[in-house]
Amino acid sequence: MSDKMVILTIDGKEVSVPEGSGLLDAAKGAGADIPTLCYLEGLVPSASCGLCVVEIEGGKSLSRACVTKAIPGMKVRTTSPRVMAARRTALELLLANHPSDCLSCTRNGSCELQTMAERMGIRERRFPRTKKPMGMDVSTEGIVRDNDKCILCGRCVSVCAEVQGVSAIQFAGRGIRTRVAAFMDRGLASSSCVQCGQCSVVCPTGAITEKDETRAVWRALQSPAKTVLVQTAPAIRASLGEALGMAPGSLVTGKMVAALRKLGFNRVFDTQFTADLTIMEEGSELISRLTKGGTLPMITSCSPGWVNFIEGFYPTLLPHLSSCKSPQQMFGALAKSFYAERATIDPGSLSVVSIMPCTAKKRETQRPEMRSAWEWWKGKGHQGSSYYDVDFALTTRELARMIREAGIDLASLPEEEFDDPLGRSTGAATIFGATGGVMEAALRTVYEIVEGKTLAELEFKPLRGLHGIKEATVVLGGKEIRVAAAHSLSNARVLLDEIAAGSSPYTFIEIMSCPGGCVGGGGQPYLPTDAKRKLRTGAIYTEDRRIPIRKSHENPAITAIYKEFLGEPLGHLSHELLHTEYKERTF
Amino acid sequence: MSSTAIMKNRVPSLDEIIEARKGKAGALLGILEDAQGLEEHRYLSEDTLRRIALGTGTPLSTVYSVATFYSFFNLAPQGKHSIVVCRGTACHTRGSLELLETALARLGIDGFREDECNSITSLDAFASVRTVACFGQCALAPVVEVDGTLHSRVTVGKLASLISKLGKGGDK
Ligand code: SF4
Ligand code: SF4
Ligand code: SF4
Ligand code: FES
Repeated sequence: MSDKMVILTIDGKEVSVPEGSGLLDAAKGAGADIPTLCYLEGLVPSASCGLCVVEIEGGKSLSRACVTKAIPGMKVRTTSPRVMAARRTALELLLANHPSDCLSCTRNGSCELQTMAERMGIRERRFPRTKKPMGMDVSTEGIVRDNDKCILCGRCVSVCAEVQGVSAIQFAGRGIRTRVAAFMDRGLASSSCVQCGQCSVVCPTGAITEKDETRAVWRALQSPAKTVLVQTAPAIRASLGEALGMAPGSLVTGKMVAALRKLGFNRVFDTQFTADLTIMEEGSELISRLTKGGTLPMITSCSPGWVNFIEGFYPTLLPHLSSCKSPQQMFGALAKSFYAERATIDPGSLSVVSIMPCTAKKRETQRPEMRSAWEWWKGKGHQGSSYYDVDFALTTRELARMIREAGIDLASLPEEEFDDPLGRSTGAATIFGATGGVMEAALRTVYEIVEGKTLAELEFKPLRGLHGIKEATVVLGGKEIRVAAAHSLSNARVLLDEIAAGSSPYTFIEIMSCPGGCVGGGGQPYLPTDAKRKLRTGAIYTEDRRIPIRKSHENPAITAIYKEFLGEPLGHLSHELLHTEYKERTF
Repeated sequence: MSSTAIMKNRVPSLDEIIEARKGKAGALLGILEDAQGLEEHRYLSEDTLRRIALGTGTPLSTVYSVATFYSFFNLAPQGKHSIVVCRGTACHTRGSLELLETALARLGIDGFREDECNSITSLDAFASVRTVACFGQCALAPVVEVDGTLHSRVTVGKLASLISKLGKGGDK
């Protein structure tokens, strides 16, 4: 946007805005909040809902503010009788085909359509329903689509295509039969969908939600036969407060631990412990590939939407993917083997719940190979029916709902500490929550292992921030290597196409599925903007500086688990419990 | 491969159609149209849609989106004969619902839900009945197209006789 200013009149008030500004922003300067349902910052506007209409002097018909730029001398009215009537009719037409399910809807209280109906003072249904019910898509492990609640705003379609480069869904049909559909109107599970959940964070209604597992978790918590362990992903401490009404960027680590104890979790552990472990395993894998001539560039594997993506779209590049399981899955495997054995708890009676910023994590828990602990016990002669390493993955939003249901006031809780030993972590593990963080954490460790000396500057600034693809250069073993970090899958495509073409200059690549990394994940609070992503990222880096130890290899609990249980990184037990394999996914 | 070479000698294959058109403006629409023309039962099978997506580098959902947007495209095999009833406002007020019902009854087709889809084929694949939103021939309402020929101011009697003529000449 240029520095030139444009002067126009909105509702009789003169406002001056930078050239190129849209009318929605310009109107804010005049104190007018133009209602919108389809527009969303950062996405190409579909201009489909019709709520943002305004009257522009000299124009024959009303204009949609979301796609109109401010022009010098323009005279705009946002509340003329004509505007108010058209706006209301647009909303009433949307509501005509909308079920009255608010009382039992996941979005009750967080729904833009509901809020708009309230704001516009809708008290009756003037238009009859014309659409037939379409039913729900519950085919995937992570995402539920309910097209009957869809208002065809197009946000999900554009996020999926533009931000994620997946294009699993599109509008299908026309007229009254228009709907959002995957190929052949089949369930998302048979489409290219990677279950990243980005569509669910932008949907204005309850048409796309995570598969809600809170009831099952309540049941486990209330079952006397179960010992329930919980692990929390790094990004949760930077977003749970926001999900419960605190300011975006609130850092609530200790309060979150306290709330989880109050909910009845028997042990409160931290996925950050296994994030540190991931660095040990993945760092060792990188060193081994560098010295023994393995496939390079090596690419990180902690983001399950990303793993689904490469398995579906670039299966020939799978050898580039690190064989490390994600920290969530490493945690589950160790909780039900190492921890169960130490604590003398029957692994079959353990329930592992993870709190994740992510919907794809739900699918990850149910990959058929993710029963390593059960296999391990079987190898020791144990019998009994099989179980997954992780039983439930809840999103930040689901945990927030449980905390509200229990009547826990997060903001006023005193801070508590994670339990030992699977709750000990470092600053390096915290930054897994932001784009560039896994790479930075890995470099902090790999550098010191390879060079045998202390890193002068811990913070790799070029790898931080919301730029789509970031890169840095590091000297390792006398050789300069280039590394890159990309977030959101359309950016991942750029790096993958380079690898496929044989022109990738990188040795090590980090990819996270979602914009901003986990802080902007598909299970995070609704309607993230870059401003909110930055605030959440800020909380992550604050936490990194707050934790006394900031390098994974210096975590004493990590040293201990290698000494007492695992042996060494990439050792036999590591392979059994902490590493995995990938396979092509067809759709 | 040069597109003229294909066009002159023989009916091009789907792969040739894709190859000749891909990358050009409006390619997808043209390819879908030609692909439907290749198919004996005038429809786009799932396999055809997949090949087009792959061949043009278009996401499957986008190909499906285009194929379901235009009522010209069929996603199910079509009968030997085609009857298209216009359901635009003008035709509707002049009795096109009755015409639609007549066509379905005469062809022995049950269970057509106009609000759910726009075409149905008789079980013996003898004929397909399709509705369109508007033919753009409102002055001649109601209009019905039978095997590509547009008939105007159609009455129930006229439609019945048009349909019974289809059965003549050993067609069925
Ligand atoms: S999507 Fe919104 S308006 Fe619709 S039922 Fe749910 S809460 Fe109510
Ligand atoms: S979950 Fe992700 S990949 Fe699947 S439809 Fe939504 S945005 Fe697209
Ligand atoms: S599912 Fe949600 S985001 Fe997608 S078009 Fe419908 S209302 Fe919009
Ligand atoms: S916000 Fe402008 S049309 Fe929906």
